[in-house]
Amino acid sequence: MTSHTLHFIKNAIVVAIGIWLSACGESPNSHAPATVDNNINYPIESGGALINAMTGEPSGLISMIAGESASAAISSNIFNSLLKYDKNLELEGDLVASWQISADQKTITFKLKPNLKWADNQPLTSADVLFTWQAVIDEKTASPYASDFQLVKKAETPDPLTFSVTYDQAYAPALDSWAGLQILPKHLLLGQDLHTSAFVRKPVGSHYYKLDNWAHGENLKLSRNANSVLGQAKIDKLITRIIPDNSAQFLELMADNIDLMGLDPIKYSRIIPARPELQQKLALYKELGNSYTYMGFNLKHKPFDDVRVRHAINYAIDKQEIIDGVYLGLGINIASPYKPGTRWSNPALTPYPYDPAKAKALLKQAGFVDTDGDGIVERDGKPFAFEIVTNQNKEREKSAVLIQRRLKDVGIDVKIRAIEWASFISRFIKTGDFDVVVLGWGLGLDPDQFNIWHSSQQAPGQFNFIGYNNPTVDKLLEQGRLELNPDKRMKIYHEFARVLLEDSPIVYLSAGYGLTAINKRVKGIDNPAPPAGIGHNSHEWYIPTPLRRNEISAH
Amino acid sequence: MLKYLIKRVLWMIPMLIGISLISFFIMHLAPGDITSNEAAFNPKASEESRQKLREMYNLDKPVIVQYSLWLKRMVTLDFGKSFASHQKPVFWQTTDKDGNVTKGLIQEALPITLMINLLGLGITLILAIPLGIIAARKYLGWQDRSITLFNFIGFSIPGFWLSLLLMYWLGVVNNWFPISGLHSLNYESLDTWSKLKDSLSHLFLPVIIPSITGLAGITLFVKNGMLDVLQQDYITTARAKGLNEHKVVYTHALRNALLPLITIIGLSIPGLIGGSVIAETIFAIPGMGKLFYDAVLMRDFPVVMGILTIGSALTLVGNLLADVAYAWADPRVRRGVARG
Repeated sequence: MTSHTLHFIKNAIVVAIGIWLSACGESPNSHAPATVDNNINYPIESGGALINAMTGEPSGLISMIAGESASAAISSNIFNSLLKYDKNLELEGDLVASWQISADQKTITFKLKPNLKWADNQPLTSADVLFTWQAVIDEKTASPYASDFQLVKKAETPDPLTFSVTYDQAYAPALDSWAGLQILPKHLLLGQDLHTSAFVRKPVGSHYYKLDNWAHGENLKLSRNANSVLGQAKIDKLITRIIPDNSAQFLELMADNIDLMGLDPIKYSRIIPARPELQQKLALYKELGNSYTYMGFNLKHKPFDDVRVRHAINYAIDKQEIIDGVYLGLGINIASPYKPGTRWSNPALTPYPYDPAKAKALLKQAGFVDTDGDGIVERDGKPFAFEIVTNQNKEREKSAVLIQRRLKDVGIDVKIRAIEWASFISRFIKTGDFDVVVLGWGLGLDPDQFNIWHSSQQAPGQFNFIGYNNPTVDKLLEQGRLELNPDKRMKIYHEFARVLLEDSPIVYLSAGYGLTAINKRVKGIDNPAPPAGIGHNSHEWYIPTPLRRNEISAH
Repeated sequence: MLKYLIKRVLWMIPMLIGISLISFFIMHLAPGDITSNEAAFNPKASEESRQKLREMYNLDKPVIVQYSLWLKRMVTLDFGKSFASHQKPVFWQTTDKDGNVTKGLIQEALPITLMINLLGLGITLILAIPLGIIAARKYLGWQDRSITLFNFIGFSIPGFWLSLLLMYWLGVVNNWFPISGLHSLNYESLDTWSKLKDSLSHLFLPVIIPSITGLAGITLFVKNGMLDVLQQDYITTARAKGLNEHKVVYTHALRNALLPLITIIGLSIPGLIGGSVIAETIFAIPGMGKLFYDAVLMRDFPVVMGILTIGSALTLVGNLLADVAYAWADPRVRRGVARG
């Protein structure tokens, strides 16, 4: 080959790379006219379409039997409950105008707002509420959420606007349970099997939106419900596309084909800030979720029954390292099983600091000493070694690896096993055949955690699978269920969290932030997020006409 | 011949029962059932309700009883109803008393996967056969080497990586192709011509990428078959007769060289109904691969069994068709069958 041809080839490659680079550098195509500025103030107006994406498809839209988050995300736009949480997480009326608790705290009387209607123009009355209660406790429904409602001894509808329930004894989580139960229309469901009814895929509700079309595996299209019991939402159409892959979702967000998606920490704190064209059109939101990740000990296994060992491990783990390394700093260290900043979280509690020296001392007290000089401590000749089991969740696996290293520093030999969810639950959790798990709890807004911590909840399949048994905690949990006065109740749960922290049956690893990116065409979003999250006023979000997509408004 | 066919078809019945039995037991060997999915791991959800669900779906009975219940339904070709999606029929649609039609899961997913795979197979063949012929004719020449190089690059590139790269370049940087999904959101309001265009542009990437990455195997088959045949005596004879090269290659050599392809295509028939989980996930295509994968994760036994049964039946049919096609194309085989 002559040097002339070589030179030619080199030039051609340089030119090709140049073209390719410039093509990549172009700002991604936007469907909205390029001259429009996202940041000026636009007047509030209704109309337009918001396109959202979800990784999973709902199995159905009756939430009392569906259970998965995809289902709740859609059905909560279609159905109302009796009560709901306001932006500060205080209960307020949804379908009801008011509610009253009797002097003995056993009866709750709900007064519905007048003239409520279903989307199909039928009146919504207390008969629908009664029907929904009967459905949720029906054996045939097999609702996973039946237990709260089975405690209702008597439910009555003295008139079309009044619904009252009486419990055997005062039940504090009752109000929260009624905020979670979506009311179904009796006139469409009477005599039907909820599992096989076509209503599961063609729901009729009372909320801001109604379902127009569900293209299976592709999208769900909702439009405004003219009969909405809470007035009209601003945005006309809510379209949810089903895009299982997160990367594909992000590409769609970059290409302006969707308006909103949940982010992982890398996208939130690395990718988007590094790209000015994305920063320009996307607004980022972070809100603390009602969930946390923890490392739980099997308290029935030795040596985890020894509180000194649990304390030692708690001191040996650097939680900030996990938050920084796994969540890129987008999480916080917690000391109680409640969302920080809410009423139920005890502000006086502080997490266990990272203190390996103290950990070693505690291990020594418990009888663990490295006698053979291999770096691993022993007791009665047996080295301290255990296995952390977790499900295949990248963040949990990475957390386990960091824990493994820190525990090695204090002389504990840890192995990690990550397995698929259903096998994990059936093979390890249900059988109690594990030493230590790394898992997470996603919690409701009511502080009652009886099912997780009460010593009576240890049978296979129940949720106190770590085998926690503390009479003080048992008593506090029982008291908390009976106390309807929020201030008195708060004191009970503050005390509960204090005992729990001291006892250390689990090591709180972190509470991660929920991260969302929303196209700046969507206005009216509270930033920073209030305690209830940005979604609390989604009916007030609006998209000014100049910022709307052409293709959607065209038809 | 007919006797042979009947014998083969009858043999399929015990084969299918055997396959389904083994599949059923292996499926139940994996720990967990429909009640152990992640959504059920909610402190608000009680163990009693999970037990009720197990009873509702007969999951509390011994595996052999569950299998016989399944087999009893299958005799009437009833594939049952999915556990995980509110008893949607597994295979074909049902109509309830109010006239609401509920489509079957396989009924919805199969046409999509079939279309993508048929288009993909078509494109692979259209590209692979000429490439294989060229590579064989110019064996060890630069054409052969560059085809081999191209094929191996295609073979070695991970499909999902190439997909994401092309999605970014063709969908985000340049707005030439849709990124994911099967239809645009305004598909319903388009005219027929635009609908077709919309569908094809959505199908472009999901069809092209597996075709390119799958090119290597078939090209190599054609090339090797061709090389084999070109060295045969009858090709030398044909050339000695003074036939032109075109006729020698395309009339005499090609037909014989393509024989092994029949086996490959026959074997790929069951593959046509099984989608790729990764491709379907990335491109947001509700096809068979994703359906099967999700069903396994959810322990949705009727769906898993439905797909496995249809898949194994098609594998058996594909084998049979390949053998029949072989006999049709190759007189040597035909004589062998007639004798046996």
